Amino acid sequence: MTMQNDISPDVIEAAVKRVLSTLNGNGAAPAASAPAASGGRLDAKKDYPLAAKRPDLVKSATGLPIAEITVDKVMAGKLSFDDIRIRPETLEYQAQIAESGGRPHVASNLRRAAELTRIPDARVLEMYVALRPYRSTKAELLAMADELESKYQAKICGKFVREAAAIYEQRGRLKES
Amino acid sequence: MAKRQKRFEVLAERPINKDGFIKEWVDVGLVAMESPNDPKPSIRIENGVVVELDGKRREDFDMIDYAIADYCIDKRVAEEAMAIDSLKFARMLVDINVPRKELVRLSVGMTPAKLVAVLRELNVVELMMAMQKMRSRKPPMNQAHVTNVKDCAPLLAADAAEAGYRGFAEIETTVGIARYAPMNALALLVGGQVGRPGTLSQCAVEEAAELNMGMRGFTAYAETVSVYGTEQVFIDGDDTPWSKFFLASAYASRGLKMRYTSGTGSEVLMGYAERKSMLYLEIRCIMVTKGAGVQGLQNGSISCIGVPGAVPAGIRAVLAENLATVLMDLEVASGNDQTFTHSIERNTARMLMQFLPGTDFIFSGYAAEPNYDNMFAGSTHDCDDYDDYLVLQRDLQVDGGLKPVTEEGVIAVRNKAARALQAVFEELGLPAITDDEVERATYAHGSKEMGDRNVNEDLRAIDDFMKRGTTGLDVVRALAKRGFPDVAASVLEMQKAKVAGDYLQTSAVFDENFNVISAINHPNDYEGPGTGYRLTGERWEMLKNIPRAIDASQI
Amino acid sequence: MQVTEDLVRQVILDVLGAMGADAKPANGVKPADGTPLNFRELGVAKTGTDRNEVVVGVPPAFGTAMTSTIIGIPHSDVLKEVFAGIEEEGLKPRLVRVVRSADVGAIAHDAATLSGSGIGIGMLCRGTSVIHQRDLQILQNLELFPQSPLVDRAVFRAIGRNAARYAKGEQPDPVPTRNDPMARPRYQGLAALLHNKETQHVKLGAPAVELAL
Repeated sequence: MTMQNDISPDVIEAAVKRVLSTLNGNGAAPAASAPAASGGRLDAKKDYPLAAKRPDLVKSATGLPIAEITVDKVMAGKLSFDDIRIRPETLEYQAQIAESGGRPHVASNLRRAAELTRIPDARVLEMYVALRPYRSTKAELLAMADELESKYQAKICGKFVREAAAIYEQRGRLKES
Repeated sequence: MAKRQKRFEVLAERPINKDGFIKEWVDVGLVAMESPNDPKPSIRIENGVVVELDGKRREDFDMIDYAIADYCIDKRVAEEAMAIDSLKFARMLVDINVPRKELVRLSVGMTPAKLVAVLRELNVVELMMAMQKMRSRKPPMNQAHVTNVKDCAPLLAADAAEAGYRGFAEIETTVGIARYAPMNALALLVGGQVGRPGTLSQCAVEEAAELNMGMRGFTAYAETVSVYGTEQVFIDGDDTPWSKFFLASAYASRGLKMRYTSGTGSEVLMGYAERKSMLYLEIRCIMVTKGAGVQGLQNGSISCIGVPGAVPAGIRAVLAENLATVLMDLEVASGNDQTFTHSIERNTARMLMQFLPGTDFIFSGYAAEPNYDNMFAGSTHDCDDYDDYLVLQRDLQVDGGLKPVTEEGVIAVRNKAARALQAVFEELGLPAITDDEVERATYAHGSKEMGDRNVNEDLRAIDDFMKRGTTGLDVVRALAKRGFPDVAASVLEMQKAKVAGDYLQTSAVFDENFNVISAINHPNDYEGPGTGYRLTGERWEMLKNIPRAIDASQI
Repeated sequence: MQVTEDLVRQVILDVLGAMGADAKPANGVKPADGTPLNFRELGVAKTGTDRNEVVVGVPPAFGTAMTSTIIGIPHSDVLKEVFAGIEEEGLKPRLVRVVRSADVGAIAHDAATLSGSGIGIGMLCRGTSVIHQRDLQILQNLELFPQSPLVDRAVFRAIGRNAARYAKGEQPDPVPTRNDPMARPRYQGLAALLHNKETQHVKLGAPAVELAL
């Protein structure tokens, strides 16, 4: 994670807004906060690419509209790395586009990804390593699933890690405790 | 023999006879498309759960079987798809009256053994016909490798710029020394945007390290995320389907495009092919990829090409695996990226399999440097083959993804890329790139013309640079501050691409104005002659005009 | 490195040998028969406490079922060179056989984990080698020598020497990278064949074994 030495008021403001929006949304799945498009779902033919056809929907993780990400702002120190991160809503829109284009498998991955946006880079890397063979005991994987579900509201990923724990146990791929 | 026949003596000296050939060894899986140990197709579904897959009961499933059964196979179409005669389905693949969409719909209802049974019915011409119809994106494109044996950054930047300028949609680097990875990634990011705005760049290294660089904004996509067809090899690759699925989601969660990598021969090369044919195991990889919801796959044997290349029908199997990938509606980066023969004839014949029908990326690594500098241990074609390739496009009126260029133009982008990287290094506190290095990189054929950098100083600086938490935004700032506003804007556009996520969709690339081109907005609509991608109009005018062609009006 | 007349002669012979082999059809490439090594097995390998040691991990068939690398360097010479490299730097080599895997990354990482210094070397019978460090991921490395036909005696010695320097906390210049685009067409089929012979000796889950020569 980048720590800016010179944090501008804009950055702080954006961060506060982001925290508030998370609190207000009560950590609900991104689908719930997606604004209604055509019948509530985005359409591959009408809405894609989002950046060109639905710029109204494309904002960064801090809520910054994509048009406001400019070189001038970078130079003025007004942008943090979080301002150029994707937000979960956008991944949900892309999942809807994939689905309407006949690609439900891609949509599933994008929905798991939407959940992972809430987790810091370093923790995501650790979680990946923990899922590699012989890295974790069953209890450690189950604790990780709890963390995903309770700390990050990552329900799909939590279930996914529980499933991994069971299969790793069956196939003898857990860390020896 | 006491006395050699003269023709045989000449033949023995031909390049083809330096290649290694081995006879099929079925017991360990040294066989291309058909092993007597391959299972027979079968599926049984109870209450929406696959309880039997290719003759194996659910309680006997390994991790890969679970991943395929639970995440890839569409239980709603499985019985319908499995009931279709394999020969009939093979014929549907080459029938222009059966639309792509229908074949894709059925493909996810099939088991690995069923897909192999279908592919075995097709000869190479039929495999190419099916590829032309089944690839997901309409215009074919190409990818380059940008590497050198010294991990010399200014040369990487210049080569990346030339590659983008010549038309490669994606560029990929890797390392001689692992710790050089972030510097190499940086060189491609800057160089690629100089050569052609919108060029996607990546750096192939160990999985966790690769993700870390993507998160920082030094790369735009990832590809070397390997999957394997047997559980033991998957584990030796230090992953499971579950860790790899999680990794796929992690990439998407940072807005990064990603495809997996697999290929025939990897399991037998790593010693655990479970006596199955290479193609059967590769189909399992493709289905794991589909199950992960990853948008695409690099396959076509890749780094293991010497293995299928050594056995009978191995190169046919390589085309079959490319086809299986697009049949499952995945983007394919179709190999041709690793030396497998000393013979020019054999090399070209193998490449035509993907070049003629067109794939999403015909090469998943054309060497944009001389092959001695190609750190993927050599590609099938390198920078010395550019003109041959351009003439093949012109002769056959086929779009292979490259365009004719001028020497002046190449010099200009190489020089600008090296200077831009010089400025970035200075601003970011990396060891200086000298003016002499810029000059050499501009005019070099390869790293032999470059001096040696102080490797230890570079490596220490890279460690420090990563610890400081430098990101893509710092690169934008450095470029803008030092008089490269256009490059700064392009690097920032690459970062913004990750905010919009449009290039997470299947087969996505960018044009020079950062318009996304993918299977969603440019779907392949081939339905026989007169349809699909045709090399015509402006693009054909550009590709036919190689600089050396004589113009009658000029005489 | 101490350059002796013997070493120079050996290097010249190796280079000439490799060039000579190049002119012949690959079908004629066959690893030379080395002599099996007389290993004594000293039981399950334990994690070392001596910060002055570098653990060298060899795969299941090394020196027994297979006795030379893909370019014909006898395994006895491989160990001689690697050990000499480590000893030149004043450190102690320790030899273990990794039985659970024939993957070079896993072998090297196991060696590093067992090593008192945290630095290990892993190698395959055909010559592919890795210098590893305990706290890295299995498929990361300090230095990797992926193209077995290019790993000659001088490289083996340099691997030993650099591993020892890492163990002393130094930052040595990495052994210069080599690349031969034609190694794959010539050798990969054979490498697959050799590796399948190798993996037939793997015992999944079995602990590493301490060896003495």
